Amino acid sequence: MGANIYKNKKPVSLFLFPAFLFMIVFLYYPFVKNIWNSFMEIKQLGGTGSGVVSPWYGNYAKMFTDANIRTSLINTLIMMLATLVFQVGFAIILALMVDNIRRGRQFFKTVFFFPIVISATALGLLFNLIFLYDKGMLNQILEMLGKAELTDWKAEGIAIFTMMLPVIWQYVGFYFVILITGLNNIPEDLYEAATIDGATRFQRVRYISIPLLHNVICTCAVLAVTGALKVFDLPWTMFPKGMPLKSTFLTGTYMYYQTMEAKNVDYGSAIAVLIVVLGVILSKVVNKIFREKDY
Amino acid sequence: MMKKGIAMLLASAMVLSMIGCGGAAADTTAAPAATEAPAEETKEEEAPAAEESADASGVELNVTTTFAGEDGNAQNFKDAVNAWCAETGNTVADTSATSDETFKTRVITDFETGSEPDVLFFFNGADANSFIEAGKVVSIDDIRAEYPDYATNMNDDLIADSLVDGKKYAVPVNGYWEAMFVNKEVLDAAGVAMPGADYTMEAFKADCQKIVDAGYTPIAAALGNIPHYWWEYAIFNNESPANHLEIPASADDEIGQAWVAGMNDIKELFELGYFPENTLSATDDETFAMFTEGKAAFLIDGSWKVGGIVAACQSDPEDPATLDTAKLDNFDVTYVPGQGSRKATDLIGGLSMGYYITTKAWDDPAKREAAVSFVSYMTSDTVVPKFAQHTASALKNAPAVDESAFNPLQIKAMSMMSGVTSLTGAVQDLFMGDCRVPTFDGMPEIVTGKVDAKDAVQEGIDSYLAQ
Repeated sequence: MGANIYKNKKPVSLFLFPAFLFMIVFLYYPFVKNIWNSFMEIKQLGGTGSGVVSPWYGNYAKMFTDANIRTSLINTLIMMLATLVFQVGFAIILALMVDNIRRGRQFFKTVFFFPIVISATALGLLFNLIFLYDKGMLNQILEMLGKAELTDWKAEGIAIFTMMLPVIWQYVGFYFVILITGLNNIPEDLYEAATIDGATRFQRVRYISIPLLHNVICTCAVLAVTGALKVFDLPWTMFPKGMPLKSTFLTGTYMYYQTMEAKNVDYGSAIAVLIVVLGVILSKVVNKIFREKDY
Repeated sequence: MMKKGIAMLLASAMVLSMIGCGGAAADTTAAPAATEAPAEETKEEEAPAAEESADASGVELNVTTTFAGEDGNAQNFKDAVNAWCAETGNTVADTSATSDETFKTRVITDFETGSEPDVLFFFNGADANSFIEAGKVVSIDDIRAEYPDYATNMNDDLIADSLVDGKKYAVPVNGYWEAMFVNKEVLDAAGVAMPGADYTMEAFKADCQKIVDAGYTPIAAALGNIPHYWWEYAIFNNESPANHLEIPASADDEIGQAWVAGMNDIKELFELGYFPENTLSATDDETFAMFTEGKAAFLIDGSWKVGGIVAACQSDPEDPATLDTAKLDNFDVTYVPGQGSRKATDLIGGLSMGYYITTKAWDDPAKREAAVSFVSYMTSDTVVPKFAQHTASALKNAPAVDESAFNPLQIKAMSMMSGVTSLTGAVQDLFMGDCRVPTFDGMPEIVTGKVDAKDAVQEGIDSYLAQ
């Protein structure tokens, strides 16, 4: 028998089968079923529905007139941009800084990554206390500094920024770790050669680190954009039902709201399809913009 | 040898994963309710008895109720379950959770997917329509055909008929009422007298203005989160106990106009600045804290809130021995200001929930007896009074209430209830699902004038008629 078992590919297929079966049952079947549900009239989760929506494309047509979908798409777009600029941007800066220090590198890695391991719901509750109207940490500090009026950090207009702040803060560490791993993969002799040629520290970063990080940044950008489309738990904990005045809905939270709160399971399914379609399109666009390079 | 070992390891992993998949499928039917557990669910509150292995003769019942979280009867339920388990040798897998929309969705979804519990304590209004229509619960009459003594200690006239077929399914335990809690400290500071049985909306508005002038918030309510109580009473104030449970066919008919007027009444109070400044962005917990901390004067809520107010007066909410009685004395409960044909003493209340036995448990010879025994125990003459406390019950022979066992707020609640002229059910319990969205979730848009109250009411009615 010996090495023959590695030439015969049949056992490999056999071992892949359970994982494949798992994916079929828990991913592809629900996905196809969800598309089907988006054309049915369903008012209860788990229900089979009372027939096809009239007209059959009704839920998709409704999206064009639904002001909340417009709000959630705009908010998601803002979230994506904020994610790209601030999450990935801060992560790059932090990674470059940590990469350039000799001591405490592991300490900063742990500190910056730590928010990722905390449950988003717990973080939501934590930030709720920080932004609380009455006796919230922020308002107490402002009060101590002499501000007489309390600020409603969740009021219409500023709520979207109050929501983005913790989301951005939480995931900076995630991209930081990816980027610092990318920096570690850059051969040390490139930096040594540049140093011998008289390059300054800034020039080493500008002409070696950043260009060689391009592909990693591209991966981060794709993850950030698709992640922004799906973000749910922290915004929902802080701003349930898109409050105030349904101004903080994101695509993920609006889908949940329609399915679980408004009992429009069919419409929620249609929004889920929209999220998938947007995810695919946007990740393609981001891939095009940040096209990976071969070195 | 090494390669063979790896091959064996992979083969074992594959076999185990297949077994795992099979086991998971079997579990789905065995312990279903836990699969859709919401964040608030209190599975740690599972009765200790359930953790013990059932003895050979014991049966494990899957039970779900709303006696969990901050519910004042959560501990009573745990105690009663433990006592029943000790008495019968059976065990209970308890998946009780806080009563909210997520809980309702979970229960209905469990029925839809065939993973319903054996016994559930659930609403008897329109919420139960889907599983009654599907024949997934057993009527009290059908149970009595086999067990003639089942729920015979209850006054049948007080057990609600199903909206689907007029039969009775749910055996009630404790009733509820919705009234207005008052923080007397705020009233004193604003020079406002404690409202009584003749309280009118006009007097209420005058008092609210005095409270605003004194620098306090009159009404503790989060209109963007829980507008339910104001929604109910604002509509009730434009109707009468006789027609409050009617659902309009249009926003233009008599009932429809009352609903629109009710929404506009809330809008008026909002525009007058009687709700908290952050009422559209605050949660119910935040506005409740305003009330208990002496920053707001009035709170319309249910009988279950008595426990919440008492807990807020304890330095340790879990320990009744830490109750600050002086602080609790600041709180009182009175009637909701009346208007038109509705007197202040006409309250919303009744017996809106009860114990159901599911067809699945009934058809299982091993569980039928245990399910009947469990519900009979939980609705017995000795257990019901512990749950009912200061609210109503459906017992034929309700025992005299021992006031010495109650705290001052519960006694005030009983005193208030003794003056009630009528108890009417909540129309929102009949107006379920997405039809409530335009006026419940849409309340902020109504009060800020972004959506016309009539349009919102009509949208809700259209959804209701389409169901």
